[in-house]
Amino acid sequence: MDHSSSSRGTSPELRGGAPLSSSRARSAPHDSLLDSRLIEQTLGRVEHLARWMGWRLRILVVAALVGCLGVLLLARWMSGTPQIPAEWVTTPTGQLQLAGSADPRLHPHVGKVLAGVGSPRQSSVLPDVLAVTPSARWIIDDEDRLQQQGMHAQLDRLLHQQTVRLTFADGRTADVHPVSRGIASLGALFWLLTGLGLVVYMVGMIVVLASPSMRTLLYTAMCCSQAGNLIFLAVESTVALGLPEPLSRLDFPCRVAFDLITCAAVVHAAALHPRKVPGFAAIAWAAWASMIALGLPTIMGVLTEAWWWTQASVAVMGMVTVALLAWSYRLLRHPFAIVMRRFGLMAVSTWILLTLAVAIASADRVPSVQQQVAEVGPVIWYVFLASLLLLMPFLSKSQQVMREFSLLAAISTVATSLDLLFVAVFSFGQFTSVTLALFLSLGLYAGAREWVLNRVRSRNMLTTERMFEKLYRIAREVEAHPDRAPSLLVHLLQELFEPLEAVVVEKRSPTVRVVGDGSTLLLPVPALTDKQVSAPASIVMRFANRGQRLFTSDDARLTDRIVEQLCRAVAFDRAVEQGRSEERLRIAQDLHDDIGARLLTLMYKAQSPEMEDYVRHTLQDLKTLTRGLAAPNHPLSHAAGEWKADLTQRLNAAQVHLGWHLTFDRDVSLTVVQWSGLTRVMRELCTNAIAHAGATRVDIDFQLAADRLELSITDNGQGRNPQAWAHGLGLGGVRKRVKQLGGEVEWREVEPHGIRCHVVIPHLSERP
Amino acid sequence: MAIKVLIVEDNPVARSFLCRVVRESFSDAIVITEAGDLESARRHVGPLHAERIEATADTFKLILVDLELPDGNGMELLTELVRYPATKIVTTLYSDDDHLFPALQCGADGYLLKEDRFEVLVEELQKIVRGQPPLSPAIARRLLSHFRQGPGGMGALAGLGEPALASGSGFQSSRPLPLGRGAPLDHERLTPRESEVLTYLSKGFTIKEIANLMGIKWFTVNDHIKSIYKKLNVSSRAEAAVLASKHGLV
Repeated sequence: MDHSSSSRGTSPELRGGAPLSSSRARSAPHDSLLDSRLIEQTLGRVEHLARWMGWRLRILVVAALVGCLGVLLLARWMSGTPQIPAEWVTTPTGQLQLAGSADPRLHPHVGKVLAGVGSPRQSSVLPDVLAVTPSARWIIDDEDRLQQQGMHAQLDRLLHQQTVRLTFADGRTADVHPVSRGIASLGALFWLLTGLGLVVYMVGMIVVLASPSMRTLLYTAMCCSQAGNLIFLAVESTVALGLPEPLSRLDFPCRVAFDLITCAAVVHAAALHPRKVPGFAAIAWAAWASMIALGLPTIMGVLTEAWWWTQASVAVMGMVTVALLAWSYRLLRHPFAIVMRRFGLMAVSTWILLTLAVAIASADRVPSVQQQVAEVGPVIWYVFLASLLLLMPFLSKSQQVMREFSLLAAISTVATSLDLLFVAVFSFGQFTSVTLALFLSLGLYAGAREWVLNRVRSRNMLTTERMFEKLYRIAREVEAHPDRAPSLLVHLLQELFEPLEAVVVEKRSPTVRVVGDGSTLLLPVPALTDKQVSAPASIVMRFANRGQRLFTSDDARLTDRIVEQLCRAVAFDRAVEQGRSEERLRIAQDLHDDIGARLLTLMYKAQSPEMEDYVRHTLQDLKTLTRGLAAPNHPLSHAAGEWKADLTQRLNAAQVHLGWHLTFDRDVSLTVVQWSGLTRVMRELCTNAIAHAGATRVDIDFQLAADRLELSITDNGQGRNPQAWAHGLGLGGVRKRVKQLGGEVEWREVEPHGIRCHVVIPHLSERP
Repeated sequence: MAIKVLIVEDNPVARSFLCRVVRESFSDAIVITEAGDLESARRHVGPLHAERIEATADTFKLILVDLELPDGNGMELLTELVRYPATKIVTTLYSDDDHLFPALQCGADGYLLKEDRFEVLVEELQKIVRGQPPLSPAIARRLLSHFRQGPGGMGALAGLGEPALASGSGFQSSRPLPLGRGAPLDHERLTPRESEVLTYLSKGFTIKEIANLMGIKWFTVNDHIKSIYKKLNVSSRAEAAVLASKHGLV
């Protein structure tokens, strides 16, 4: 159980605490090496940081500029594309109906179904629902997709003409002039999605530049892909009648590529982090190879049923990721794996649901419903995935954020599915269904939030109470055994966080902090007492809550406060103890100086030798008393030396020989009561041997083994029949003192003559 | 020629008792000077300017000093008399090392415990004068740690010339003296034999037992003890000189 001693070795490797190593046994050597490197890195990173900061910062600034400029240029270009100033709705049969227009020439045609778009010189096309379907990525049927791409291209060409002739179902036509759509018409959704895309891209860049490695590179690949997806979603949100070239052509291949790259990167990352699983290289290669094998024919349009293939492969890769994380958690109980597994499950299941929803909606062949589902569902799913990505680097920063996010994610998933359900089943209008779903889920969110927070809070309250109790107990123990402070602190923190490992390493950590993606909490061992002159040490805890939870910065703050409280409690205890000992010292001084001097005068003036001896003994008792008061504890070896010298002097003065045998297995520290009790018992018994028994030899045998003290004092005097002795002041005093120490005393005759007094104290350290 | 003895003791009863002890201990003619406080003791000793006072018929041969005096601590006097050629003995009621050890460091040649019996005191006094100073286990232990750490680092002259002396209890405070010395000199080190003797003494063995245990003669053990005393005194004297020159006294 002693963590401090187990890690006191000179080796820099971490060694697991004994009670927790069961799950580590399987992977012990590998992990420890990995960990020591991690600790090494985190402890010695500061000086490298400044050196690398220069070029990384420059790249980061360049990346940020490129990102912002790209978004601005896109917006500018989009605002310059020509457009017919009209709004269209789809009829249940898949035709377009003019819903409203800013152009007065179209006003008479509001409510009419569109029968063709053309120009005075060019043949017309019949735009149907596909013309307002923004994304080729979410069209299930291969032919529909090709048709959509063709229609968008044609519409784009037409819109670049001077005049566009719209033919309506009632045979009437209207000539309109396409105008630039202007930056204001891009809509709030466009800006929100591009903003999110930009943020995701920037976080990816920051992460990879902060510590370039394979893992962060993969993370950045996911971020960039998802940023691309979000940009496309943003552009698609502006669709009125056809997408401008070349976006309509690029939409399908780019978005498939983005999805597949993300999948491969996720699988690759799950094989690497939090732990490299066996054969991680093969897994990573397989993932990338299969994605390329699927992606190339899809993008070139060779593959049939491309949508199904893509959807299925994304789902499969997601499930592979979840499986990999579960395996990785078995190998190393890193809580990061659990959290990621949960997120993965959430993402994969919603993906499958989304796929099914889109598929069912299109199977019904009601084009308007299909369009709505295919338009709203993916947006929400991609936003959800992007926020997951954003959250990942900050998982260990705060528990609060985690809690709120998981609640929000759950609630928004519910909201989305409710929305889709209302649309699909009750055929509500989009506005109605969204409002209804929003209200329902907001109510749910408010209720669930309160409930979850209450649960969390009440549990914490209990532990706080218990912790304070423990804190003060530890403060007292630290006072008694300053060398055990680190291991006591480790025990306290173990109860609080239940980590899988908690060890003390001989390295200095400047502050309490969370490292290793929240798997590890590092804290410096505080200097609790001034007596403690040990090398700087840190406590390292890994895998909170038996590997179920990540350490957060809240935990670090809590630990900081606990350590601070402990220091305060120890300082307080020490001050109290110091005050006590000062007071004792003062009393001892006064007693000794005043009463001692008077007794001395009394002794010099004594009328008879008996009186003189009596006063002398009183004076000696007083000295023992004051000595005991002044020194709080006496090591047995020191006390024994003084006993022997004192008794030898007394006995020699009376021409009595002393036989002294002392054995002890541990040099215990005697308390004042024990020291003065034993001193006076021995002194009294020797005095008896001299004064009453007239012995010529006294043998003292003192044995301390396994906390059991046996003391026998044997004389060879003429004393007999101890049971018949009158229990005078002397022997009564001996009994009283032995009883005070929790022991027994008995007197026996020994052959050929003499008395043996046998004192047994079975548990010396139990009494004060 | 009579031997001059100075007894510094405030309690008149104790003073007359000590006078009896001194007269009983020596067969020579004895002239006892009594002083009740530090001031009169200083008057009796006379001015202490010379580098080293020559032992003449006029100087005291034996000085008994009580530690607790009305106008200060006996150790102040001992410090002033560091180079005075007399046998200086501390008479006290304190038998613990916290009080006795600093007194020995101040140059006392031995100590007498005032509550001891008359015969015991006579014997002890004779032994000290003969060069067999007492050494209790506690003081032996203190000596061991003192020499192990080096006198310079232990505050060898705890509270030398300090007002803290007057408080009477401030001797535990071992103030490190920054003497700026490197390796300990010869008189600051114990020989292995001396360490061994001290170790046995600290465990409560008598000189006779130690002689048996070490397989050497009784007086050899006593020589070691004397040598240890001398080392303690010499080192404290050297430090006193350094301190004195620092304070511009010499």
